[in-house]
Amino acid sequence: MTVAALAPTRLPIYRLLLRSQVSRARVLALLAIGIVGIVVGFAIGAGDRIDELRAGARFINTFGLSLLVPVTALVFSAAALGDPSEDGTLVYLWLRPVRRSRIVIAAAASSFTVAWPLVVIPLAVAAWATGGGSALVTATVVASTLALVAYTGIFCALGLRVKRSLVWGLLYIFIWEGFVATANDTAGRLAVRTYSRSVLTEIADVTLRFSAISSPYRWIVPPLVAVVALAYATRRLRRQDVA
Amino acid sequence: MSDARILDRGYRAYTGPRLGVRGAVRSLIVHSIQRALGLKRPVWQKILPAIAIFIAYVPAIVFVGLSVLLPDTLLREASGVLPTYAQYYGFISAAIVVFTAFVAPELLCTDRRTGMLGLYLASPLTRDTYLAAKAVATVALLALVTLGPPLLMLLGLTIVGSGPDGPIALLGLLAKMVLGGLAVAVLPASLSLAVSSITSRRAAASAAIIMILLASRAVSEALGATASTPLYFGLDLLQLPIELVFRIYGEFSEIDGARTITTGTLVAAYLVWTFGFGLLTWLRYRRLTVTR
Amino acid sequence: MTVLLPPPPPPPPPPVPADARIVVERVSKWFGDLVAVSDVSFTVGPGVTALLGPNGAGKSTMLRLLCGLTPPSQGTVAVFGGNPRDDLSLTRRIGLVPQQETLFENLSALGFVRLAAVLHGLDDPEGAARSALAVVELDPDEPRPIAGFSKGMRQRAKVAQALVHDPDVVVLDEPLTGLDPRQRLHLITLFEQLGAAGKTVLVSSHVLDEVERFGRRVLVMAQGRLAAEGDFHAIRDLMDDRPHRVRIRSDRARELATGLLERGVVVGVRLGDGDDVIVDAVDAARLRREVPVVAAELGARLYEVAPLDDDLESVFRYLVGG
Repeated sequence: MTVAALAPTRLPIYRLLLRSQVSRARVLALLAIGIVGIVVGFAIGAGDRIDELRAGARFINTFGLSLLVPVTALVFSAAALGDPSEDGTLVYLWLRPVRRSRIVIAAAASSFTVAWPLVVIPLAVAAWATGGGSALVTATVVASTLALVAYTGIFCALGLRVKRSLVWGLLYIFIWEGFVATANDTAGRLAVRTYSRSVLTEIADVTLRFSAISSPYRWIVPPLVAVVALAYATRRLRRQDVA
Repeated sequence: MSDARILDRGYRAYTGPRLGVRGAVRSLIVHSIQRALGLKRPVWQKILPAIAIFIAYVPAIVFVGLSVLLPDTLLREASGVLPTYAQYYGFISAAIVVFTAFVAPELLCTDRRTGMLGLYLASPLTRDTYLAAKAVATVALLALVTLGPPLLMLLGLTIVGSGPDGPIALLGLLAKMVLGGLAVAVLPASLSLAVSSITSRRAAASAAIIMILLASRAVSEALGATASTPLYFGLDLLQLPIELVFRIYGEFSEIDGARTITTGTLVAAYLVWTFGFGLLTWLRYRRLTVTR
Repeated sequence: MTVLLPPPPPPPPPPVPADARIVVERVSKWFGDLVAVSDVSFTVGPGVTALLGPNGAGKSTMLRLLCGLTPPSQGTVAVFGGNPRDDLSLTRRIGLVPQQETLFENLSALGFVRLAAVLHGLDDPEGAARSALAVVELDPDEPRPIAGFSKGMRQRAKVAQALVHDPDVVVLDEPLTGLDPRQRLHLITLFEQLGAAGKTVLVSSHVLDEVERFGRRVLVMAQGRLAAEGDFHAIRDLMDDRPHRVRIRSDRARELATGLLERGVVVGVRLGDGDDVIVDAVDAARLRREVPVVAAELGARLYEVAPLDDDLESVFRYLVGG
């Protein structure tokens, strides 16, 4: 069964896109950032603090949920369909009797597969290293996974829709989510990080700014965003000018 | 006598003046700045630089407008209404990041990706003069958003009578302004060149620069919460040059613990980062195999 | 008062042959202000058809329209009666060799072609991939990934993935690019075989002397419009504004030319150095009838009667070059 599952004829599009996204430069660069996070986590844990949980949660929020998670998702997800679309190899998937939704889902799944260990594992270790306790570690894993789901969907669609998707994605992360959506609580509802931050605060039982999204919306909206984004990407792929 | 003429012999050797290395460097600087700003290129190439310039200059225009519209008494009482020149940089940090991350990689990455680097090095330019020209162009571009807006504010305030008293004070302020503007430009320029020397993909360079800037801030903030040493401050590549600007103007920023850090420490950290990135860029280009 | 007459209605498209597999009717395609294809109608049936045209004529756009890779701005494209853009099942019957060189660089040739076979749902993708690679003379056990391939190897890998699922329609955009003469010959033979087997093979190419070898049916495009279609010899015969140029070698070449001029068979004569003359004739068929008659009357011996501009390159040049 395991051997059959690994056969090159199973999940061919997923395997193809997974291989194409994993480059040494990308993995090493993002791994380096993750290691920096772990080191800082240990530094926080080694310091004299009254409230280690809050310090740890703040660090996970600013370094993890606001930076490492969205940028890692962007780097891989935008390339999943964006690279084949730009270099013309999309034709070798498009001109096949394969449902477009299958291509899009395979792209998103492959991006998530490669991004998750690069993001969640270092952040979980960093959270543990801060001394914030098991609740913070659990909150980090759950919140960053949820955020990764949403960002993967958004950036997969973005990669298909625009040409310089990495640039537009960075502008979204930096300008939209970093500035515009921090104007007030209402604007914050338009940023994925607000929802993941709310999940982090709920599970870790800690208070952070701009984390006022109530349950169950904090749980429902991120995957819903991903589903809508992937549905849009499917529709877009059907109407795409290829090669 | 025949009235026949030959109007075009086709290829002829160039016999005009040759401007040498200086001319090549000057041309490269001008062309690089034009390219990064999207000048002589399609409209959409101008969008990002336009956004950054807008973010950088609009506050200056607003503040000058406020000083015109508000009565002097109100201005004197509400001293926090108008920022100081040092505080201005807090308003335009987004513009600085946009220029550093999105505009500067255009200067190095594109030449390697398109193969133009080989052509440049076949001219009187060497790798060192090429890099020097690119460095000057990058700093000049960043100075557009770090030096231009404070100068504009100074000009506006001087015209409306809220500027410095007398020519000595004006010259002194100008000197601080130039030094401060360059301080905020040089370190990000150095970082941008270093990252752009590692990858020939502009988008990857932009992503890496943003990651480094924001990660340095996040790390510095996380460490700085109860740090007993000011070392953390030197890690924040965004705030470090701005804090240096405050010291140039004889002020301190409002960040916790900033007053505990000596100016000498700041300058040392600044120089280490700047020269470190510069050295990385130089080494990368020294070893680069340039093919045509 | 000047009254502008309405433009004459466009000629109706010719009736669709019963064996037509590709039917293009009044198709136009524009990208913003750029009109890439303008009001083109044609049909393509079994056999080999060459799509010719200078750079920028709209050939690649036309091929993309036929495969459904881009929708027409106007008009309809039908392949086996269906819309290739919407009907996924048609992709099983179409094989495309696109022009761009980039492939999945990490894959081996076998991996690349096997991927195509898997996505087409073939029962034995490995076997089909190996067969397809053998047809194009690529070693299926080549360990190098495609990133290390030469241009010719890449091209052959592209052809293999287009053939692996045994499509009824094979569309090839500049397939001979990057191939050495022996490889070109091999592929041309392959196209002939595919055409003879009843498949529809549509090839765009610039290499006119080789195109001439694998098919007489051509579609000539220029500036987005269809300039001519059909057997290129027949197209040449229709060009009555372009006299046919023929070289005649004979022991009495000059007298022969004089005789042809007097009879009005030729409209121009150019004398050669030796025993040959080059004549221009509007009616090639009449020239073919009259030359032996005049030669017989003069008692002249004919060594050679060779058309100089009856080849595809000349036809192409006349149509496209103006």
